[in-house]
Order: sequence, then C-alpha cells, then structure tokens
Amino acid sequence: MKAVGRHFFELKNDIRELAALSRHLETLADRAGIPGRTMLEVNLALDELFTNILSYGFPQGGEHRIRFLLDAGPEMLTIVVEDDGVPFDPVSCAAATTPPCGLEERRVGGLGLHLVRKLVDDMSYRRTAGRNVLTLRKRIDPQEPTAREAG
Amino acid sequence: MEITEEPRGNAKLFRLQGRLDSNTSPALEERLVQAVTNGTRSVVIDFKHLDYISSAGLRVILKTAKALKRENGKLLLCCMQDYVKEVFEIAGFDSLLPILASREEALRQL
Repeated sequence: MKAVGRHFFELKNDIRELAALSRHLETLADRAGIPGRTMLEVNLALDELFTNILSYGFPQGGEHRIRFLLDAGPEMLTIVVEDDGVPFDPVSCAAATTPPCGLEERRVGGLGLHLVRKLVDDMSYRRTAGRNVLTLRKRIDPQEPTAREAG
Repeated sequence: MEITEEPRGNAKLFRLQGRLDSNTSPALEERLVQAVTNGTRSVVIDFKHLDYISSAGLRVILKTAKALKRENGKLLLCCMQDYVKEVFEIAGFDSLLPILASREEALRQL
C-alpha cells in the first residue's frame, strides 16, 4: 500500500504526553501504511526531541504546546517539530559545549540527540518568529511490513 | 511498564514488559537502586517483553551497570527484541554491556 497521509497534533509540556505521542504515531502509521519498524524509529526520535525540549526549553515553566506535523509521501516521511522554548539547534549541537550537548552531558542528555541523528535521514533547523522549527526526513522502506500487517 | 523481580540464588532477575521511556524509567531505577542498596551484586534483566526503550531507559541501565561494577558485581542483559537491540547498538552500549540471547545463558554467566 502507498504511504500517503498527513497528521497534525500538539502535546503539552508534560512528560506524560509521551503516551499520546505514540498513539498519534500509531494512528498515522495505520492510516498511511507505514512499516512498524520505521514508526518505532520515528517514535524514538520524536520522544528524544520532546523529552529534550521539556528538559531544557522552558526554564521559566508555564504551559506550552509542542507542535508536530507529519507528512507521509510514498517513500519519505517529513516531520516538523515546533516549540516556543529557548533557542536550541539540535543540528549544530554536536559542536556546542552547553547542555544538553556539553561533554559531561553527552552520555546523559547528549545520548538522546545522538540517537535522533542516527534514526533520521536528514535534519534541518531554523529559528522563526520566536519558535524553534526542526524538520526531519525519514525514508520509508517499502520492504518492511506495515504496522497493520505486523499486527 | 510492568517490572517483575525474582531472586535466583544470590542474584536477582528482573523482567520488563512494555515501554521503558522518561515516564517509566524512574520506577525501574528505584527498583534497581533498591536491589543494589540491599546487597544484590548480580542482576539479570530480561528484555523479552520490552517493546520500546529510549535514552532515559538506557541511562538507568548504564547507571546500574556502573553501580554494580563499583561493588564488584555484574549486570547481564538478555532476550532483546530486534528493535531494542538496535537501540543499544546505535547508542554503542552493546560494547559496554553483556547482551545474551537467552535467559539460561545469562543465568549461567552469574
């Protein structure tokens, strides 16, 4: 089945929203016929980014919304993650020394970003109108069974 | 996530089921810290029914391995699903920690 579908959702800056994240991804995987393994990898990448935003993005606290837009084409899944937290560029993070990518943190917070880099095929960052906008691209392997087929 | 724990001689066997992420890893960390504090020096963690792990879960495993090493104990991991194993490999943890194919193999190494 061709993987085509768009899905938009928002999560509150509350770590319990991780459960909602995987539910949203299952919905899209089912509708667009995305392989289960691809979706698990996407889930992990977005989990790490979301957890990172919650850990470092809002030092002042308050309620915020993190936006996710997923666009599944036949061979490529494009994901945009947006938040209004402090400026943070995970793409150039490897060269930085401040948390969450400093030396001491690399094992800890930096590990999550290392996983993200390995799990997606492309990642680009821009800061627009006070928001962090991160675009990820992940190839969809048509050989893998879809989430539905794999049960 | 569900955590079950059973003694195996002087060792402890933990079985994990479900998802190990930022939400659920504090509960596992508590159980493991408690075991080490109470004198357990050999721990086997059975991943057979674990469907998902994030860096938060990996951190708990690494912390436990370090804590046990300090006490001359050891941590053995077994029975990972392909996807969970892949996350350990990407993180480079497969070279830091012994990962066995079966529970029997892990228990034999204690």
